[in-house]
Amino acid sequence: MNIYSVAEATRYLRELLEADSLLADIWVSGEVSNLTESAAGHLYFTLKDETSQLRCVFFRPKLAITLENGAAVITHGRISIYEVSGALQLYVDLVQLEGVGILHLEFERLKVKLEEEGLFEPARKRSLPLFPKRIGVVTSPTGAVFYDIASIIGRRYPLVELVLSPSLVQGDGAVDGIVQALQALNDMEDIDMVILARGGGSLEDLWAFNEEKVARAIYASKAPVISGVGHDTDFTIADFVADVRAPTPSAAAELAVPDCAELEAHIQSLTKTLRIDVTRYLDRYRQRTDELTRAASVYLGNSLTISREKLRGRELELASLSPLATLSRGYALVQQSTTGEVVSHIDQVQRGDAIDIKVSDGQFKGRVTGSKKGLQGWMNSFPSKKH
Amino acid sequence: MDEQLSFEEALNRLEKIVHALQGGGLTLEEAIALFEDGMSLAKICNERLNAAELKITQLQADFEPEPEHKDE
Repeated sequence: MNIYSVAEATRYLRELLEADSLLADIWVSGEVSNLTESAAGHLYFTLKDETSQLRCVFFRPKLAITLENGAAVITHGRISIYEVSGALQLYVDLVQLEGVGILHLEFERLKVKLEEEGLFEPARKRSLPLFPKRIGVVTSPTGAVFYDIASIIGRRYPLVELVLSPSLVQGDGAVDGIVQALQALNDMEDIDMVILARGGGSLEDLWAFNEEKVARAIYASKAPVISGVGHDTDFTIADFVADVRAPTPSAAAELAVPDCAELEAHIQSLTKTLRIDVTRYLDRYRQRTDELTRAASVYLGNSLTISREKLRGRELELASLSPLATLSRGYALVQQSTTGEVVSHIDQVQRGDAIDIKVSDGQFKGRVTGSKKGLQGWMNSFPSKKH
Repeated sequence: MDEQLSFEEALNRLEKIVHALQGGGLTLEEAIALFEDGMSLAKICNERLNAAELKITQLQADFEPEPEHKDE
């Protein structure tokens, strides 16, 4: 016979309870009583119905509702033993007023859980590539959804390859199907983004997209994920985990790729800018050329003026050497009439030669009547200046 | 101009060229060369857009959906 201490007995009991999967994840409905709030903000209350009572503790409660005694509620949590007092209690992690559907409760529970884990972190959201080349699509291969996505992407931006990773999107097998389809795309090297889509339906129809396994598969995707599930009023857990939430499958397709028409307009505006800019360059260089030409001609003009002045100086110099100046001083120029030869030596003339004589203001003709070599007596014959 | 450029690469280069031309400080020859490069890149971009045809492949080609997707 074994004898256990109280601690050993309660620990054994606790381990027994905690090994049970139902008690670890249980929904319990009942009426709230004995509600107290500790200084630390934890809530203690008792859930009861006509026949039984269950002690409850809700640590760090996050409540969208006001809990009060007498409220009919549905709670979620795990049942275990608090060894210090030996009390069996429900460790609550979710409280909803009764009357809310169970799916809604499950949705809220998972949402809170994954949010706390950081799966919805805005900082973790990845931006979509502007020009994707390969887009994975997880949806049903039949039906309008994939057809719509393909035709929208084909119209907007046909430069991509769509890789359809087919899956059931509702009913049994949908959860595992979606997880495997996402995984298949994740195993490929060059998928730029993933569209996870399903057409509209009831909350039950869309349920697979509210399952934790699907949420984790989305979170695990290497490529950013766009969710487009149901209509724009439907929010699924998949939407919260996805990098981008599109209100519908068609909207997901439009978010995934740029629009050809817009791109063409963009390219056109770029070429227009190119033309304007190169024209600006041409104009600038044309103007510069003009300026330089003008500067050069001004410089040339200046040097012409300088040259003209120099020329005038030379002309004056030349004028002083001109025979006209000499003639005006009383000398005469004698030329042979027949040859025009200037007579500067006495041997050039013979008696009888016709000669032309030029003085400062005219000319006359003459004939040599005699000649004599030498200039004796010349000074005497030179006319004296009259004053 | 490289005829193997993808649309994205061509557009990237075109945008860089526009940026460079707007920056100024180029010689006339450089500006004209960039302009000509830019215009042929724009042409490549438009050709890529016009020539493209959506490709579709399917993983698990033997996938058989259960006949229950009446509301999709």
